[in-house]
Amino acid sequence: MLTSQADTAVPAPDVSKGASVMDDLREIVGDFVRSRELLSELTMRDLRIRYKQSMIGVAWALLTPLVIVMSGLLVRWAFASLAGQPVDGAVIAGIAIKSIGWAFFVGALAFGTSSLTQNLTLVTKVYFPRELLPLAAIVTQIVDSAIGVLLLAVMLPLLGIAPAWSLLWVPLLALTLVLLTTSLTLLLACANVFFRDARHLVQVIMSFGIFFTPVFFDAAALGPRGARLVMLNPLAPVLEGLRFAIVNGHNLARPLLDARGVELWSPWPMYYAMLLGAVGIVGSALVFHRAEFSFAEYV
Amino acid sequence: MSDVPIGNGRVGKSAAGYVEFDHVWKKFRYGEHNHLRDVIPAIMRRAFRRPDPEAGLWTGEFWALRDVDFRVRPGEAFGIIGPNGAGKSTILKLLTRIFRPTHGRCAIRGRVGALIEVTAGFHPDLTGRENVFLQGAIMGMPRRDIRRRFDEIVEFAGISHFIDTPVKRYSSGMQARLGFSIAAHLEPEVLIVDEALAVGDESFQRQAFARVRELVKQHIPVVVVSHQLDAIQSLCTHAMLLDRGCVVQLGSPAECIATYLKGVGAVRAEDGDGPVRIDAMRLDATAVVSGGMIDVELDCEIRADTQVRSESVRVCVRAAASGTLLCEADSVDLGLNTPTAGAFSVAVRLQLNVPSGLYIIESLIWDRVRGRTLCEGPTHYLEVTAGVPFSGSVQMNPTVRVAVASSRPA
Repeated sequence: MLTSQADTAVPAPDVSKGASVMDDLREIVGDFVRSRELLSELTMRDLRIRYKQSMIGVAWALLTPLVIVMSGLLVRWAFASLAGQPVDGAVIAGIAIKSIGWAFFVGALAFGTSSLTQNLTLVTKVYFPRELLPLAAIVTQIVDSAIGVLLLAVMLPLLGIAPAWSLLWVPLLALTLVLLTTSLTLLLACANVFFRDARHLVQVIMSFGIFFTPVFFDAAALGPRGARLVMLNPLAPVLEGLRFAIVNGHNLARPLLDARGVELWSPWPMYYAMLLGAVGIVGSALVFHRAEFSFAEYV
Repeated sequence: MSDVPIGNGRVGKSAAGYVEFDHVWKKFRYGEHNHLRDVIPAIMRRAFRRPDPEAGLWTGEFWALRDVDFRVRPGEAFGIIGPNGAGKSTILKLLTRIFRPTHGRCAIRGRVGALIEVTAGFHPDLTGRENVFLQGAIMGMPRRDIRRRFDEIVEFAGISHFIDTPVKRYSSGMQARLGFSIAAHLEPEVLIVDEALAVGDESFQRQAFARVRELVKQHIPVVVVSHQLDAIQSLCTHAMLLDRGCVVQLGSPAECIATYLKGVGAVRAEDGDGPVRIDAMRLDATAVVSGGMIDVELDCEIRADTQVRSESVRVCVRAAASGTLLCEADSVDLGLNTPTAGAFSVAVRLQLNVPSGLYIIESLIWDRVRGRTLCEGPTHYLEVTAGVPFSGSVQMNPTVRVAVASSRPA
């Protein structure tokens, strides 16, 4: 069209050298600190939308984990009538604790993965750190789960569970759960922009993940080898740890053996989950940050 | 969100915002790669082949911007013009930090206010009030500032009665007003404006223009990306002409617009190397007062061996801003019989009963039998300056008279 410099253009520069990892981390933390208010606005938005135009509203926050607990109890009752183990308060409490953890994981993953694709107009038209969309979904889910946790706190004494010093492990395990969930959500949300396969993967995790995670059953029920295998799933030691710390009042730094000397709990899988959570959050934040500038070009 | 360098850049501290594009290159890819079937071969190709060393491109890639370099300082309004596909939108997305440059550095310092996509952050289920806070936060406005200016924002948008109604029940006009109002109260340190100025009703446009002028006066750097050449002419202090991702000219808006419009003609003339052609177009002036006359003279040549039996010379006038065809004059329709062979010149006189602005004068030779263009001739641009004040789209040379009604004789 126009006679321009296009034909006599300067040759393209060499392939650019990427910014260093430390630069990226500094940017991620900086962005995050600057956008706290936006994160809270997005979370408020998600919370408001979630229960708007719904007849029972916030009651859904209780209903979902309640249904999981009920189905868990049904499964355990079936096991119990086969094996002759009683379903007592401790069993109910254990299932309830693990169910809330699992409901958080599944909910955060589902909302977080679709958070970018559901806000396409925002992603392609306005700049803000894109991490905030999946993060807002996770914070929303934390608030949601907090309602279930409050109900649980009221129920536990009724089930005969007394508080113990081992409860101090709970915040650390909850943090590990949030970090693991956030890492996976960031990666899947990011992948979902480029490949819609991510959505199908989340569907599979939501429907069948519960069979590979000790929620309705205890890891020890699989035998020593089975327990070691299932503990590779980092959610397993976190959920089992929560149960041992709350229900059994067990100090998680020490292993726990039953009367026959079979190991019920070992701290090592828990340390592995914590390490994975810490490494995962840094790694996934880096991957997400590197990819976020191509989101607008791909979707 | 102050002092956010993007790319690998770092910007020093100082009070005012500014924009700096330092040899920016941006690469895009054609087509889609979202199946493993496509991705794996692409990775393999990359592993074993080098990119084209000349252009630095892999197959299927292209440069949307090449070595774009400019600065916008406080108090400057910078206009970016160019044909479709020149890279204007890409620059816009780099400015709003949606894209990152492939090479080079884009440094934008200060809170960026964009008069584009002013309703992008709205959620239909939330009320106007909730959306003001959400959209404000997305635009980077601290919550206490939003709270402080909340009443002003609602007042300016003129929707106080509906502020607690979900925005899905708003008309699109109400949504746009609310969005614009939030953006207008953002107190930006850098302002970016695009075709947004061309949409909306007339009062919305006037509001937007007034706001942009006000910000330029407040020493805020403004970048305007537009097809509306007259908007660029009247708003901007500096301009850049882009074509196919390259900077063609940096300079005053008038210079860039002139090059742009001349460039349009330069190419058309290349096509005219055939048996029928218009070699030159002369105007007796480059500017004319609204309602005034302009003489256009065309040097034409028709070779004797053409099969054409009936051709006419045509002159077209278009509005540069919109490209709308305003007038097409045909020599035969006007009662002129041009020679069927040889060199000759045709003079056309036009009266420009149009508002002030930029216009494009085009020339062509028309085949009256087959109803098609035989050749396109040179193109010139013409500036029409304001004469008798009027508003609207046609200068009708109004004259006024008054007659006082005399009281009836007794």
